Amino acid sequence: MPTYRKTLGICAGLLATVALTANAGEPYAYPVTNPFMATVAGTPEKLRAPTPSDVDVQQTDLKVRVLPDRKLPPALSQYRDLHYRVAWHDEAAPLIFLVAGTGSGYDSTRMDYLKRLFWQAGMHVIVLSSPSNHDFIAAASNSGLPGMGAEDARDLHTAMTLAVENARQELGFEVTSYRLAGFSLGALHAAFVAELDTHLGQFDFERVLLMNPPVDLYASVGRLDALSYTRIEGVDDNDSFYEHIFQKLSRHFASRGNSDIQESLFEEIQSSPDALTDPELAMLIGAVFRFSAADLSFMSDLVTHGGRYVPADEQLKVSTSLTPYLRRALFCDFSCYINEQLLPTWQLENADKTIDDMAWETSLRSLQDFLQNNPDVAAVSNADDLILTESDYRFLADTLGERAFLYPSGGHGGNLDYAPVTERYLAFLQGGAQ
Amino acid sequence: MKRLLPLALLSTALSFSAVAQESGPQVPAYNDPLLELDIDERDNRYQFERSSLRALNVHDPLEGVNRRIYRFNAQFDRYVYLPVVRTYVWATPSPVRTGVSNVFDNLRDIPNLGNSLLQGKFQRSGETTARLLFNSIFGLAGIFDVAEKMGLPQQDEDFGQTLGVWGVPAGPYLVIPLLGPSSLRDGTGRVADWVIEDYVNYMDNRDFMNDYQATWGIWAIDLRYGIPFRYGALDSPFEYDQVRYLHTKLREFEISH
Repeated sequence: MPTYRKTLGICAGLLATVALTANAGEPYAYPVTNPFMATVAGTPEKLRAPTPSDVDVQQTDLKVRVLPDRKLPPALSQYRDLHYRVAWHDEAAPLIFLVAGTGSGYDSTRMDYLKRLFWQAGMHVIVLSSPSNHDFIAAASNSGLPGMGAEDARDLHTAMTLAVENARQELGFEVTSYRLAGFSLGALHAAFVAELDTHLGQFDFERVLLMNPPVDLYASVGRLDALSYTRIEGVDDNDSFYEHIFQKLSRHFASRGNSDIQESLFEEIQSSPDALTDPELAMLIGAVFRFSAADLSFMSDLVTHGGRYVPADEQLKVSTSLTPYLRRALFCDFSCYINEQLLPTWQLENADKTIDDMAWETSLRSLQDFLQNNPDVAAVSNADDLILTESDYRFLADTLGERAFLYPSGGHGGNLDYAPVTERYLAFLQGGAQ
Repeated sequence: MKRLLPLALLSTALSFSAVAQESGPQVPAYNDPLLELDIDERDNRYQFERSSLRALNVHDPLEGVNRRIYRFNAQFDRYVYLPVVRTYVWATPSPVRTGVSNVFDNLRDIPNLGNSLLQGKFQRSGETTARLLFNSIFGLAGIFDVAEKMGLPQQDEDFGQTLGVWGVPAGPYLVIPLLGPSSLRDGTGRVADWVIEDYVNYMDNRDFMNDYQATWGIWAIDLRYGIPFRYGALDSPFEYDQVRYLHTKLREFEISH
């Protein structure tokens, strides 16, 4: 049985329908039922859909200049061009755009996994940073203030056009059709780009896959912010949360006898008496997002010359310490960014509208008709996804119906590499019936 | 995980019962993970800020120079070092690369042993001695790490750690050209380790490498091949600050174990 499953995994792309038949009767047996664990660690290696090793993938990183007039100081000059990753085949094939999630770049671990998976299934793959990521803000965000669905979609659409043109020129591959996928915030962006493209008719995406999308972006952002305020046993108002975690690790190593750090470290700790608790895992996830929020707030301010952090007359050299700016930006969570940077700018043109109107415009609810009536759009999500409220979750189920692949566990994207799940969404992307 | 099993069974049971009540396509019942968390609702809730601000307190008087070197290292890595490593990976089968790494790792057990002794870690010194013997003899000059398979994994100890164990503080944070994050203490330690390896000249390796200088190239490639760190991987305009903290913590950690 194990070898059978493995073979299936390898041929998942080509034998999608076969895999589906084999799968149909099996109950969902994802082993990580704790949503925080699933979010942090993903699927145990043995149950992951196998992908080729990265060196065996024909790939490269390319860059394009999207905004010729954008000026950046020397300290951040590496973000003048938009960098992206391409994996390609020598034969003509469909091309899939893959959009990263909040605070993630084109080179993140998760994107690399999905890249290998899609490439193995026979697609060319172009991976782009999230429009909320600092590099995209600097190189490709017209307004410099990401967070509005329709505007971000225009930025992304432009970046995609330039990226694919550049990649085909440099690498000389042929594209037969286009597909689109995004993870988390990238999934929301994918939906907006797909809708935009129906008006522009440029890519005519044959399949659009939303992986763990938020529904109401600002509600999701509020939930992520909340994680960073989780109270933790043993950390009081004078303690550092990071020191607390390091002390736990330290105790673990002391009881273990040697400090040889291995890849399985996290799984090993989680099965020891020093396992991280749910509040600690939640806080870790929250802290990672808070650092992304700080990056976002800082970069947007810099590009729009907002003066919140860097004074207008200060030139950031390579040797300039950015630490004082990070110290201040740390205080701005996602909700702060929306309220203090995005909303005031938006209200300049929408004076009579409220933050609720702004939230609705960037919510998947504003795309309900498009999502409901378009058989080529599907979503993968979980009943315990951290970023969804109950009504968000119901919205996905009701709007997409059979095209909402909803699982009881997996947290925020933890099961996206779980073989039965990959088989199902790959089958959808490859055009089989769900 | 074991203690979570009852919880898992319970939640599975709950979701099944919820599914049974639904009509139409089976939608697993929503389950809000945030409900079990105790979220701080006070106005002065600063756990994240407090912890992160403290993490930024690293003694870095040479920050301007360090940042320039950091940028240089990142560029060198991107345009020279990594492309060379990628070519190496492309050109050699995996067992060859593992063998190469093992040979250099085996040589590194010399400073590992010396520093274990200097730190008074006698059990560890015994284990490292055993590793050296097994790997040098049965592992054919270190090509095979037979000791690891016998339950004796490599235990890194460098002279910077030894100084740390002796109570020498890390001193100013340093970014060393080509080598990356370090400190005054650890940078000094690197030189000492180099001298130890030169002096011991285990299995005449230094003479051999000096006679066949291409082996230094392989040594340099293997050095980078074994380090998973990638510039840009932290995905932040504040990467320098984050690396500085993580590196400093990691060293503290290595010294206390």
